[in-house]
Amino acid sequence: MKKLIGIIFAVLSAVFLLPVAATVFLSFYSEGGLTLECYNDLLFDCFVFYPMFWNSVLYAAAITLIQLPVVILCAFGFTWAKFKGKGILFIFYIVLMMMPLQVTILPNYIGLRDMGLINTQWGIILPMIFSPFGAVVMHQYMKGTDSSVIEAARLETNSVFRVILVSVIPQLRVCIFAVVLFVFAESWNMVEQPMLFLNDKGLKTMSVFISESGSYAGAVLFPAAVIFLIPVLLLYLFFSDSLEKGLTLGELS
Amino acid sequence: MKSIQKKRLKWNTKCVLCLLPSLLGTLAFFVAPFIRVIYYSLIDNQFRKNFVGFDNYIDTLANEYFLLALKNSLLLIVICVPIVVILALAVSLVLSYGIRWVRKTRAAFVLPLVIPTASIALIWHSVFASDTSVLPVYLLFIWKNTGICVVLLTAAFTSIDPSLFEAAKLDGAGSFTLHKKITVPMVMPTVFFVSLLTIVNSFKIFKEIYLYYGTNYPPDHSYTLQYYMNNNFLKLDYQSLAASAVLTSVLIFGIVMAGMALQRRYRQ
Repeated sequence: MKKLIGIIFAVLSAVFLLPVAATVFLSFYSEGGLTLECYNDLLFDCFVFYPMFWNSVLYAAAITLIQLPVVILCAFGFTWAKFKGKGILFIFYIVLMMMPLQVTILPNYIGLRDMGLINTQWGIILPMIFSPFGAVVMHQYMKGTDSSVIEAARLETNSVFRVILVSVIPQLRVCIFAVVLFVFAESWNMVEQPMLFLNDKGLKTMSVFISESGSYAGAVLFPAAVIFLIPVLLLYLFFSDSLEKGLTLGELS
Repeated sequence: MKSIQKKRLKWNTKCVLCLLPSLLGTLAFFVAPFIRVIYYSLIDNQFRKNFVGFDNYIDTLANEYFLLALKNSLLLIVICVPIVVILALAVSLVLSYGIRWVRKTRAAFVLPLVIPTASIALIWHSVFASDTSVLPVYLLFIWKNTGICVVLLTAAFTSIDPSLFEAAKLDGAGSFTLHKKITVPMVMPTVFFVSLLTIVNSFKIFKEIYLYYGTNYPPDHSYTLQYYMNNNFLKLDYQSLAASAVLTSVLIFGIVMAGMALQRRYRQ
């Protein structure tokens, strides 16, 4: 029985890894042999690639870094503030978290248009900062943390920021890692927003570069796909242990 | 006495203020524009602004592309969501209680969660080039969505206090009763949540289908709600776009509320 489960899992995990492995393999494969030629073509001949790669880095990093303090503050508010309607407000955040892009993208677009942010970098960054996922996850996690530490810190200081810095953030470590991994991956993977909110080619992202496959030589696409994988892969290697401990989403209400 | 009460009040105000950045952003980019969307869905066009009641909704509900998209989304839910949840349950059971080297395979199931779809669409193209059925899309959905379920379910399994099992074993419970009486009730809320999440995620599959087919009109079987929205976006047809956004949001709202009610009812 144990052996059978072992074999099934070996096969199953290989199947799940296959798409990534095949992509990496094909990036080194050209005209019947393994070479670095495709990487050569991409890195030294394909100049549109660089600005798009850096745009992806810029957007994902900015979204993650700006979202983090917003989310920590928000979760702290949800956990500690007492006011009427808090429960309903939190349910609203959950429902918003569940809404697919096809519902939110039109409001996002209208909001950005009215603020004159269409076709700017902030148009990509701002709506993503306020996506509710991080706040929901962080609040769920914060509910389970040790409140006596916070009470103790409150005796020392009256500043909310100091309390958060000294006694909340150290307890949130794994949750912060999990949220960073998630938000970064989600922003890195954006396709619709750069497609619909941006006209300037110079502002677009790597995901757009890869999806507009027709306009570039086919050989550079697989290396581009592999290079596009690397940042999230590295982040996953660093933070994957935090995922299970940090995402306490199972029970909501 | 009074000063303590005052201090407490002040602290509470500060805590409420912490919500402000997030609330303002949500208001500016989601809530306020969504009210505009509802308004758009009730007028004939942006320039004349005649109030037409539910005409846009009736048009949308009668539109064959909207119905096709809706049908495809529901089909995806009915077929793929059970597969994803059952697969994830089996995988996380083994990952939580199985032999040690098997646990190392966890990364294989979780990794697709963070892998950019844009990177993976290429290989899907090469492999399924001649396949015209809906199968590639379903496989991509299962591949992409099993990971988050595995993460949440493994967390639920491993958070069960092992002393509960010890105590039950001492009382002479067999392995079957053990799981029936302890594991199932402890994990059930998470199973509900994971199913809900996967249902909701199936409405998000547009990105995968778009990157796979790339055109404005994929084969009929893969035409989902977002394609409908996207094409209306390109046509700048805000009225039908608004109507379908409102309709979809009502649908999702209903699904989420039903899921949460089920979860609450199970716990009682």
